[in-house]
Amino acid sequence: MNLEQTKTLNAATGAPHPVHKLTIRELAIKYGFLVLLLGLILFFCAFTNGFASPQSAVFILQSVAITGILALGVTATLVVGGFDLSIGSVATTAMMASSYVMVVMGGDAFTAMLVCILIGVVVGLINGFLIVYMRVPDLLATLGMMFLLVGLQRIPTEGRSIATGMTMPDGSVASGTFSPAFLALGRHRFDFVLPNLVPVSVVVLILLAIVIWFFLEYTRFGRMMYAVGSNERAAQLAGAPVNAYKISAYVISGVFASIGGILLAARLGRGDIASGNNLLLDSVAAALIGFAVLGAAKPNAFGTAIGALFVGVLLQGLTMMNAPYYTQDFVKGGVLVIALVFTFALSQRRR
Amino acid sequence: MAITRRILGKLTLGLIGASTFGGVSFAADMPAPFDKPGDVKIALVRYLSTGDFFQSYLSGVEAQAKALGVDLRVLDSRQDAALQADMVDQAIALGVQGIIIQHGLKESMKEAAQRAVDAGIKVVAFDVDVENDQIPQVEQSDRDLARLALEQAIKDNGESFKAGYVYVAGIAPLDRRDETWKEFKKKYPGINEVAQFGTMDNPIANSVANQARSVISANPDITVMFAPYDEFAKGVKIAVDEAGMSSSVKIYSADISTSDIAAMREPDSAWVATAATNPTVVGQVSVRTLAMLLAGEDPGHNVIVPPTLITQKDLMDSDIKNMEELGAKLPQFAHADVAMPAWMPNPNAK
Repeated sequence: MNLEQTKTLNAATGAPHPVHKLTIRELAIKYGFLVLLLGLILFFCAFTNGFASPQSAVFILQSVAITGILALGVTATLVVGGFDLSIGSVATTAMMASSYVMVVMGGDAFTAMLVCILIGVVVGLINGFLIVYMRVPDLLATLGMMFLLVGLQRIPTEGRSIATGMTMPDGSVASGTFSPAFLALGRHRFDFVLPNLVPVSVVVLILLAIVIWFFLEYTRFGRMMYAVGSNERAAQLAGAPVNAYKISAYVISGVFASIGGILLAARLGRGDIASGNNLLLDSVAAALIGFAVLGAAKPNAFGTAIGALFVGVLLQGLTMMNAPYYTQDFVKGGVLVIALVFTFALSQRRR
Repeated sequence: MAITRRILGKLTLGLIGASTFGGVSFAADMPAPFDKPGDVKIALVRYLSTGDFFQSYLSGVEAQAKALGVDLRVLDSRQDAALQADMVDQAIALGVQGIIIQHGLKESMKEAAQRAVDAGIKVVAFDVDVENDQIPQVEQSDRDLARLALEQAIKDNGESFKAGYVYVAGIAPLDRRDETWKEFKKKYPGINEVAQFGTMDNPIANSVANQARSVISANPDITVMFAPYDEFAKGVKIAVDEAGMSSSVKIYSADISTSDIAAMREPDSAWVATAATNPTVVGQVSVRTLAMLLAGEDPGHNVIVPPTLITQKDLMDSDIKNMEELGAKLPQFAHADVAMPAWMPNPNAK
């Protein structure tokens, strides 16, 4: 594909043209969400105790680290015009798998992580295969995968959560432990401004966000994924291996979800039976809110990261103000709806 | 009364001891229909089954059924209220003599339970109120659970402290534990609840950890966290550890599992006490209650399984590392003398 075609495809996906001068409405569309985020932070700083501190900045990031990582993964599938409903259960399956490897099989941290990443890759490949070659619609294929994994993660222990000293179905006692190296992923903190401040999960989130952002925006591979998402047929006619791009999007999503699962296991220190549905919903919300950031009106990694942060700031701030959990779901829903209005109504009018 | 019970208990143990020698002759001492236990068919109709509690409950039901020698069928509706009602009809069609209803919704189970009673089947309900005089209710006493944990909190911290409370309304056992918390706050005006939070978003421990982190940042003077559900307590503990406040905050909770024991035993763990009913024992009691009904005895309408207080000190002093050791070293946790007539085989006796 030559440069001219890429440009046309960019225009089709709604990439901004920085040529003409911005009107006020365009400014609102472009920076409205960031201003809202800033206002929110100022509001909480003024009205809650302890919000304005490096520690609280870090734990807000930590609280969104896992959903944020999952959201970055699902962004990749959104970019190729797909969707991945299985990420939540991939994360919890990875959590169970890493616990199983260490506690039951007595493996080390490296093996546990390797197994998790492998699960992510395999699930991504199967999802991609089902969608591309079996022609199963993306929502349905990944929905099936979700149920499959929710069941699968419970089979080895017959539905028990995994912890050191647990009794196995055959009556024996699991004697392995979480290796300290693995737990450090959830508990070690790097010195930054203050000693012992930034947890590993936040560093991983930031690194992955930068990697996927660079990958999607500035590499040929990433731009081609946008091209596939905006017009699959056109991309195909231009000679792009569309199927390969789509499958790799699901592999990225699976791997990111399994990394999220590793961090989850390291934080909890056990393999918890969980469907991961809340992880799925929160990360999808973050990715969709991301559409509205900078007026992109399309899936983008920077927006996803901001979207996750936005939800985190809001929820942690509300908790500090002692708001009950159901108001938090309500507010989360409200933010999502506003973001979608930003994306669809306001941005559409511009064109 | 206590002495009589103890004697009965010893008698039981003696009988069981004898049975290991006597074998067949023991079965003959059993009241009908348990003199021919192979012909007795019972069904467990479940609403909830996922998670450690329900797994342990099932193992208790299985153990007691095996000790009695009866044929147990397990029907699992996996949180489908309508299906659970259908499964009661299915059990009736299977020709079982007794049914245990484990959890469920009052609205859907009330009529199904009545149909079973009308068909001449003995029914026992665990943790679901089917409003039927002929159906005994097996309960773990959630109010006692909360009371034990809170009494320990007052013993450790005095009658006035700043507290954080983890609660989600609308979940029956948590609502009952909440009643006790409200009573305690009224009784001890020095208890100052500065924050209330909680969520059921799964993984629960992770979501609660995020919330608790905010709460202790906003209220660093909290000294007591009342988290009357072990998943909540686990989440609060993660947050307290991450904030480096494990020496200034104490966590009191309810329920217990092997991983909870590990968390309580960690060096400088903030999680100091929990009150728990052993789900395995609750499962055993459910089957025993049903067996008494089948033998024509009256177990009473409310069969309550008493909870046990488990402190960090107990776990350290007796070097308890998992649920099995807990049962072995705290005998009151492994066995409850509830629904235990002399002829009843004790599944814990080896």
